[in-house]
Amino acid sequence: MTTKDMIKITFNLTAIYLVGGLLIAFVYAKTSPIMFIKAKEEKEAALKTMMPDAQHISKLGDWTPHEKHAEYYAAQECGELKITTVSDEKTGKTKELKECIDARDIGYIVEGFGKGYSSYINVLASVDKNFNVQKISILHHAETPGLGDEIEKEYFLKRFEGKSVDNLVVIKGDTQDKVEAISGATISSRAVTEDGVRNGVKMLTEKLSGGAKEEQGEEQQHGSH
Amino acid sequence: MAHTDKSNWELIKNGMFSENTIFRMAISLCPSIAVTNSLKNGFSMGIAVIFVQTMVNLTVSLIRNFINPKIRIPIFMLIIAGYVSIIDMSMAAWARPIYKQIGLYIQLIVAFASIFARAEVFAVKNRIIPSVADGLGMGIGFFLAMIVISFFRELLGKGSLWGIPIVSGNPLLIMILPAGGFFAVGILMGFFNWMDARIAARKAAEAETAAGVGIERA
Repeated sequence: MTTKDMIKITFNLTAIYLVGGLLIAFVYAKTSPIMFIKAKEEKEAALKTMMPDAQHISKLGDWTPHEKHAEYYAAQECGELKITTVSDEKTGKTKELKECIDARDIGYIVEGFGKGYSSYINVLASVDKNFNVQKISILHHAETPGLGDEIEKEYFLKRFEGKSVDNLVVIKGDTQDKVEAISGATISSRAVTEDGVRNGVKMLTEKLSGGAKEEQGEEQQHGSH
Repeated sequence: MAHTDKSNWELIKNGMFSENTIFRMAISLCPSIAVTNSLKNGFSMGIAVIFVQTMVNLTVSLIRNFINPKIRIPIFMLIIAGYVSIIDMSMAAWARPIYKQIGLYIQLIVAFASIFARAEVFAVKNRIIPSVADGLGMGIGFFLAMIVISFFRELLGKGSLWGIPIVSGNPLLIMILPAGGFFAVGILMGFFNWMDARIAARKAAEAETAAGVGIERA
């Protein structure tokens, strides 16, 4: 190979990679803001389904499982729910602003991350006042299709109902009080149960039990790393 | 560079049958085993592959004269990974419901031997239209293989099709586990080879009798 060949090849590779890189960057710049907004909307929609009895959900604070940003919330019942309609001057759309007066916590919702087989699994879990799991839902993951993605299925999510922290343990095979693993996807099942949900509920318990009343008024509160 | 002399229809048929990715070439078996445990999964994967395979073949063929043969492999990698990223991001932004269904499959395609192989074997040596036909054929061939495998695995392993229960009773759970994937692919591959051997034998017999008749007449 002569020097001339080497330069030619280098130039060829650089040029094509530059074009490719620019294309990907362009698409990313166009899509990422939309992606971000849609993901946020989906999370808000999911939050509403976590505690069907709650009239209002208010953010309690942030925490950082696996160095990722996650939030936790209080699900509240209101003494009086004041709804005021506000219209946006720019778009002319009306928006309902809800104000919760005399709020009582009926449970909590925590967002968590579990390290799965091929991705971090983003989960939401709601607990009652005794920190027993009511419901969980999977916000995002990239586990193997056909095996790990079974964690999204209703039959698996149902296995979490009413579980306390001590029972959030994955068992291979039949179990009554613990969480049964999905056959072929034990790692993903573990990630959801023990890493995502259990750590989230543990964090909630540490943060809120005993001191729950005092912390209610605080808007922002940072979890330990 | 050797151009193909096959017609576009022959190229499509070639990908579907005589050079079927799964049953003939036996490449990209890993995803075929991972995702074919239900008909819906197999279908989604198949659709995603048809699209990426065709687009990659088109692009490689389009820029084949700019690619230095010594660095073709990193360039194919870029094209495949680039397409997968672009499709993934666009779907995440603009086609959210479909993304939720097949987003995971799209990401898997980066590591597909079959797509790489067609770029290397065919698209880099041929003009655009035949390359697109080849990509389509290969994609459809893969799609059909996915459908056949996942049909049997879901039916036997879960007793349902497309999530709708069909057979009651205890299904053979092993069929939806990875081991069942190997069984299904192996048995189906054997079946298609056996069919092929029968057809070949019948053709040979016909040729023989035809030849025999010819001799008698003479």
